[in-house]
Amino acid sequence: MSVNRFIWQGREISFRPGESIAAALEAAGIVRLGLDALGRETRYFCGIGACQSCLVRVDGTACEACLTPARSGMTVTPLEDRS
Amino acid sequence: MSEPDIIIVGAGPGGLAAAIAASRTGLKVEVIEQRHAPGGAIYRQPVDGVEPVPQAAAAKRRWQSLSTRFAESGVPVRTHSVFLGIDGDGTFLIDDRDRGKLDRLQPRGVIIATGAVEKVYPRPGWHLAGVSTVGGLQVMMKETGRAPQGRILLAGGGPLLIAVAAQMARLGNPPVAIVEAGDPAKELAAGLQILISPGLFAEAFSYLRTVYRHGVPWLRGHRLVSIKREGQDLAAVIEDRKGSRRRILADRIGLHDGIRPNDFGMPPETTVNRAAPFVIHAGDCREALGAVAAEADGERAGRMMAGLLAHGRHEINELEELVARNRRSQAVLARIFAPVQSGSLLDGLTDETILCRCEGRTVGDLRQLCSRPDPLTGREIKHNGRFAMGACQGRFCAANTAALMARLRPDIPAPAPGDLIGRRWPARPVSIGTLVGVPPHAEGQDEVLR
Repeated sequence: MSVNRFIWQGREISFRPGESIAAALEAAGIVRLGLDALGRETRYFCGIGACQSCLVRVDGTACEACLTPARSGMTVTPLEDRS
Repeated sequence: MSEPDIIIVGAGPGGLAAAIAASRTGLKVEVIEQRHAPGGAIYRQPVDGVEPVPQAAAAKRRWQSLSTRFAESGVPVRTHSVFLGIDGDGTFLIDDRDRGKLDRLQPRGVIIATGAVEKVYPRPGWHLAGVSTVGGLQVMMKETGRAPQGRILLAGGGPLLIAVAAQMARLGNPPVAIVEAGDPAKELAAGLQILISPGLFAEAFSYLRTVYRHGVPWLRGHRLVSIKREGQDLAAVIEDRKGSRRRILADRIGLHDGIRPNDFGMPPETTVNRAAPFVIHAGDCREALGAVAAEADGERAGRMMAGLLAHGRHEINELEELVARNRRSQAVLARIFAPVQSGSLLDGLTDETILCRCEGRTVGDLRQLCSRPDPLTGREIKHNGRFAMGACQGRFCAANTAALMARLRPDIPAPAPGDLIGRRWPARPVSIGTLVGVPPHAEGQDEVLR
């Protein structure tokens, strides 16, 4: 994979170094971040790690998309991967 | 390794000012910060090579001065580190997310400077993807240097809406409208003159001028009452002061009804008990008054903590006066932006409206719990109804739930948001792997829960 890209749902997402996962997905036009355990959409909301609405999994571990910096080669998946 | 005497939680203006003040006395100070760089929400820095979002000159100067003084202090910052709590024997717990490891420290003093969170009233549809806080849109702009794309609607109340609208306009995508519950234009001139700082006046004026120049409708005395998804659009219903309604279509909606201290689940202040670490709250997480007050209050907290640990004298009178001045300015702003419509948004909510975003608990669920003949306490509402129990720890539902309970049961003493939340750690979700010391991606550990 080329530098400054990560995988989201089989798609390569480019980012600028230092950018959060949320910012990179936003720039790619992705607003719906998948489903949570209750089957509801996860999504960006507060931007400061307080609301827990934007949880995704980075290589399996749940974390806030708004706080977590994007890194080359990481695989980001929805909290509940039901595909 | 020598452990820090003082740990400061949060590297915004409050935390950094506290660190500078406390380190002057020679005590060993460390700051922990959840992001990769200091600044907090107010001074969030752009990624490398990106022009900072246009902002007021005074704010730029404040950050330049603060960040320079902080760098000179030599106080280290642990980044990607999330404060979990202080356990029963005074051990301070940090989720070190880079290493997937729990750090346990025994500081003598802890300064909590976790800033503010936005108040957002529930509205039907406020949980939909594409709806965020206005502050959420703003920190994203600060980070990326880009305005949110598409048709953006800002709604709620307060000066932040104007500031964000102006910043979006300067980045090339002004919002389709600003829906403002108050009618500040009516009282603006009078109100702003009372504001102590001429700098604040210039800042507000410059933002307003930008908003007008770009022809952004500023719908004063209006409120956003519901949001629906219609195909690719978000359809917002806007109500004016006479009760007439209209729809505005948008791609993204920002909501903001004010700010409040982000002190949820935080250990209370302790300045007498010698067994546990001293705890002082500083900045917006003590009282949400904005960046200028937060910096002064951080300095106050840093001096106080140094005084407690070194048994020295500390002078904080002039800092308290500065905080008080900001309190008066904020009170004037609150008056200028007071909602003009009588009745609370909370009164007209449909039963299906989500109140607790984490677990999907609705207004109807709460109404049912509140109709029991034997009235439930705040704590029982939490345990029976799961309000304030989810992953956000009640940050976005506890106050709304408490306020709605008070309206549903006017004859019973109203619960405080803290009654619902209670005190507990972790203050933030943490993986079980981290808590029990299993390194991330250990063999056989395919599921890590946070």
